[in-house]
Amino acid sequence: MDLNFKGNKTTACLLLGAALVICAISGREFMANAGFDDLVPAAGFERKMLSDYFDGLRGSRMDTPVFVQNGAKSGGSVLILGGTHPNEPSGYVSATLFLENARVVKGRLFVIPFANASGFTNTLPQEASPSRIHITRSDGSARSFRYGSRDTSPIDMWPTPDIYIHKSSGQELAGNESKNLNRAYPGDPNGTPVERLAYGIMELLRGEKITLAFDLHEASPEYPVVEAIVAHERSMELAAATAMELIGQEIDMRLEPSPKNLHGLSHREWGDYTDTLPILMETANPSQGRLRGRTDETLALTGLDKAYAKAAALGRLFVPYGPDGKPLSQRVARHVASISAFLEMLSLFDEENGVTVENVPGYEDIIQKGVGSYLGGIGRSN
Amino acid sequence: MGVMTLIYRGILALVIFLVVRCCFREKDFWKQTTAAVVVIPMLLRLFMIK
Repeated sequence: MDLNFKGNKTTACLLLGAALVICAISGREFMANAGFDDLVPAAGFERKMLSDYFDGLRGSRMDTPVFVQNGAKSGGSVLILGGTHPNEPSGYVSATLFLENARVVKGRLFVIPFANASGFTNTLPQEASPSRIHITRSDGSARSFRYGSRDTSPIDMWPTPDIYIHKSSGQELAGNESKNLNRAYPGDPNGTPVERLAYGIMELLRGEKITLAFDLHEASPEYPVVEAIVAHERSMELAAATAMELIGQEIDMRLEPSPKNLHGLSHREWGDYTDTLPILMETANPSQGRLRGRTDETLALTGLDKAYAKAAALGRLFVPYGPDGKPLSQRVARHVASISAFLEMLSLFDEENGVTVENVPGYEDIIQKGVGSYLGGIGRSN
Repeated sequence: MGVMTLIYRGILALVIFLVVRCCFREKDFWKQTTAAVVVIPMLLRLFMIK
């Protein structure tokens, strides 16, 4: 068959017209990622923006919603930060679960579900990440959440330097870390977009006098600091008591001190530059690991991967890995149960600054009923 | 928007212009198709969509 077609100005117009149509369709899909996923805040939450704390974020793609609920009794204040890394879904789903269920009795609760909004608009090249995950609710409907990137989008931050120099410490890191929110603290009001975002979060911590702050993460099961609490030295006593409480509930939890010479991370700089007690927590997510096979939404939701099963059998993982994998419900349950235990310990250690939150499901509830049972339906209040 | 980004977008606009011009001058249909396909990611980049 002869495929040597002649081209002319008409065919050029038709082909370029088709290219424009493809641009319009794909561009619309990409631009739809710039909004925030739907949320159904529980009664009593007020919606602000991070730019209310640092005006330098206003109108930019780095600005993000902050939800606040005040209890009837005065007490301390707690911040739950999800979505520092938008490819770590247990972090932002746990923050969402608090947002959609919590009833604050004492003190104030701040929730930022999507900390790095820009990171939710793209996925990392060559990672084959799904663009969305869908969580089934008890009525059979589904809630959809974006699965993003660890890094700020190149649309918002470009070019990437060969070496990233952390401003306040002079620490040198790989260039891609310049786009990582959790290497940007304490931030810089005149710096890069992600440094301004980090500065905005620091301003919230300082301005609202946050007593205790959580930064929720996930990591690969072959990473040593996983299913762990990382605590600044000022938070260590509280974290140790909480870890013992969790182990008492048969939830295994490592406790790691925040390294003093590792800069830019929340568990270090929140403690050094504000009066808050910083806590970072990690769950085990095989969809982030280097050993994983097929990467898709199922892996992100179930954590089931035969390569991880083999690695576990060879004793190469830092966490138990059974036939059930590492399902999202279990990962969220760990974060939620840990935060609840921290709040209980905070009230024991410092009654005046304690924060009491009700209507938050327990570890077994989330695992047995599934995390979707605790997420609101879109289009109606919780 | 930084100066580097402006320079980058300027280079992109120039290359898109050259590829489109090439597409109109080309007599081989398949080479015209290649030019049209090349334009797609460059347009998305020029308008900072992807």
